[in-house]
Amino acid sequence: MEKGYLSFILHAHLPFVRHPEYTEFLEEDWLFEAITETYIPLIDVFDKLIEDGVNFRMTVSMSPPLVSMLTDPLLQSRYIRYIEKRIEFAEKEIERTRHQSEFHRLAQMYHGYFTNARYIFAEKYRRNLVAAFKKFQDAGNVEIITCGATHGYFPLMNHNVNAMRAQVRVAVNHYEKHFGRRPGGIWLAECAYEPEIDKILQEAGIRFLIMETHGILFASPRPKYGVYAPIMSPSGIAAFGRDRESSKQVWSAREGYPGDFFYREFYRDVGFDLDYDYVRPYLHGDGKRSNIGIKYYRITGKTDQKEPYCPHKAMERAAEHAGNFLFNREKQIEHLSAVMDRKPIVIAPYDAELFGHWWFEGPRWIDFLFRKMSSDYKTISLITPMEYLEKYPDNQASTPALSSWGYKGYHEYWLNESNDWIYRHLHKAAERMVELAKTYPQRGENSLQNRALNQAARELLLAQSSDWAFIMKTGDMVEYAVKRTKEHIFRFTKLYDDIRSDKIDAAWLSDIEGKDNIFSDIEYHIYQ
Amino acid sequence: MDKEILKEIFLLLIEVIKAFCEIIWKKIKGFFCLIWDRFFGVTDISSPDRVEEQEWGATGEDTWPVVPDGSLVRKEESQPRGKREEVVSAPIIPELPEDYGDNRMVLMVRDPECLFTYWEPRKDVVDNILNALGSMAHSAKMVLRVYDVTDVIFNGNNAHTYFDIEVTGGARSWYIHTGKPNRSFCVDIGFLTPNGTFRLIVRSNQVKTPPAGVSEVVDETWMSIEALYEEIHATEGFGSSESVREKAHKGWQEVIKESVSSFETSRVSPPA
Repeated sequence: MEKGYLSFILHAHLPFVRHPEYTEFLEEDWLFEAITETYIPLIDVFDKLIEDGVNFRMTVSMSPPLVSMLTDPLLQSRYIRYIEKRIEFAEKEIERTRHQSEFHRLAQMYHGYFTNARYIFAEKYRRNLVAAFKKFQDAGNVEIITCGATHGYFPLMNHNVNAMRAQVRVAVNHYEKHFGRRPGGIWLAECAYEPEIDKILQEAGIRFLIMETHGILFASPRPKYGVYAPIMSPSGIAAFGRDRESSKQVWSAREGYPGDFFYREFYRDVGFDLDYDYVRPYLHGDGKRSNIGIKYYRITGKTDQKEPYCPHKAMERAAEHAGNFLFNREKQIEHLSAVMDRKPIVIAPYDAELFGHWWFEGPRWIDFLFRKMSSDYKTISLITPMEYLEKYPDNQASTPALSSWGYKGYHEYWLNESNDWIYRHLHKAAERMVELAKTYPQRGENSLQNRALNQAARELLLAQSSDWAFIMKTGDMVEYAVKRTKEHIFRFTKLYDDIRSDKIDAAWLSDIEGKDNIFSDIEYHIYQ
Repeated sequence: MDKEILKEIFLLLIEVIKAFCEIIWKKIKGFFCLIWDRFFGVTDISSPDRVEEQEWGATGEDTWPVVPDGSLVRKEESQPRGKREEVVSAPIIPELPEDYGDNRMVLMVRDPECLFTYWEPRKDVVDNILNALGSMAHSAKMVLRVYDVTDVIFNGNNAHTYFDIEVTGGARSWYIHTGKPNRSFCVDIGFLTPNGTFRLIVRSNQVKTPPAGVSEVVDETWMSIEALYEEIHATEGFGSSESVREKAHKGWQEVIKESVSSFETSRVSPPA
């Protein structure tokens, strides 16, 4: 009989990037890389676990922009083009490395890796990876939770309850459309908890959310069990707090696994390493060197003299690290269960894209972890937050504290000199959207006007994505984030002016409907 | 000999005139392209001249060349030059409005100790105040008056405390370090005269900073288990954002390479 539970949560999100106006677009690679390196490897792991009868539980939050992109026919066909170019490049690499056995084997490995990705994407799941996750959910192994409609940062839009409500309601409706049921839980973008969101979540039927550690520890009254049991917010939402110890083991530079010297080195990609003319056909139109996805070296150590990657050795390390993680969880849970009068739950949330994209061996680490748990570890059971609530429906009432999992634990990363200029525009646009929804309360007969109103809602939501403020702060790709913010605000403002003056530009509206086509069945009334 | 020199000078002059004409021609052409794009909203990137004239984005990270009119056009790969590649719509993205004609001030919480405010004073409101101040107008300073309004229904006069910050340099926003977690605040922007008269332009909304430590409030039926709180250092080390997008720019492996500290600590002191 287990003494406690481990709840493994992956947050999968990418901003909505889709540019039909160009034949290819660098930032769309964010999605394609994540599909190849994270989502497909995870799907592969889950499929094999189920085939082998391994009983596992995992929670995955899939943001509406990610789900929208994964189900978008244009991006799906562009992914096929992307992966086929990788397969073609891997074939060339097999030929080029024929006299270098270590690299030759790796080239063959990548060829298999890309070919398998193509098979899973195009044939097994017929281009729809969301269907794969739905299948795991329907089988009872994975619980999919939602996220704000466009990963909007709630504490920085809290002046406008309607705007926050729209982020939640659009997300819930979108989830229902794709997964055939209502979501039980929500991942608040950047784990940014805002007390005002509580009632909105309750109205939307959300049962639980995930928070950063201090959002629970600083809650009032003081939570009896710290982060090892949920607390019930004033509106009755169960708030689960992240366990720092288990996070640290995966992330920390000192103790974290991904920095192991036998793991694959992310920063040695052939797109940068090989002869320019040779790789040029596989780079983007601008010819600037970029990642192609074949990386031949292991981390090796604090040196630029990298050793070739050895997959066999890396897998051994992943298995050892899975064992180490479980050993530590076992000790932790034994300790917690000794002081608690109920079974503790350890919440271990991570960005999904860590696994596979950054930490190449990450999906296999999860595979080893779940297999070991099902056979060797009886002290711990995997559980989803919803299952825990079924076992323990009575939880302490306490008000969670405003917090986020960002820099210093609050909002500074999204509110600083690099990005604070966006908020006056975002707030004004939200205010105007509510004004429009109240001015035009009924679905009139004027379908052009309805289309314009719905598109205004889409533009506002896209502008609110926390990713843009985030990128502005990181200092890289800033122009793109600025462009996206301005473009959506500009489109919103023009729609607002056109609707108010009853001069809607039908051709222009059709053009932006084609570009910003997220949430095809949105209804602007959600802003009322 | 003189003839040779004259010939050289003459040829040189011809070269200068030729170069000058080319510059003029490019300018005229660029101007007409600009006018064309502005009115027809379409940029044809098939012209090899245009492609060569494109400049790269300032950061070097964005991959679309910036054409002279500021529209963004992506140079396409693997299509032969000279052949018509694609006509893309390249809308001009105008700057967003400086203001929206409101008289408003918005206050936001950044963290337990810091607030952020932005404002938009309407010109007629400011003018009225300055007129009313008469001769004192020239010596009046624009200030933010920051009120601690914790647990009071604020009427403008019943704040626990307040302090003023002089607003300089035509600022339209400000970070206010209150250093006070778990308190409520409201801010006025207005003119302060040397004799202490404060004239309000506009008042902000109220906000509450979050607590920065474990609550003193304990529920008797859910007495907290002290063992679970023993290792908490209230304000240290929280908020190790794990967003992969940040790592996309910094990279946890790079952090590891630096080997300075844990990933979490690095998030507290990110690179400049």
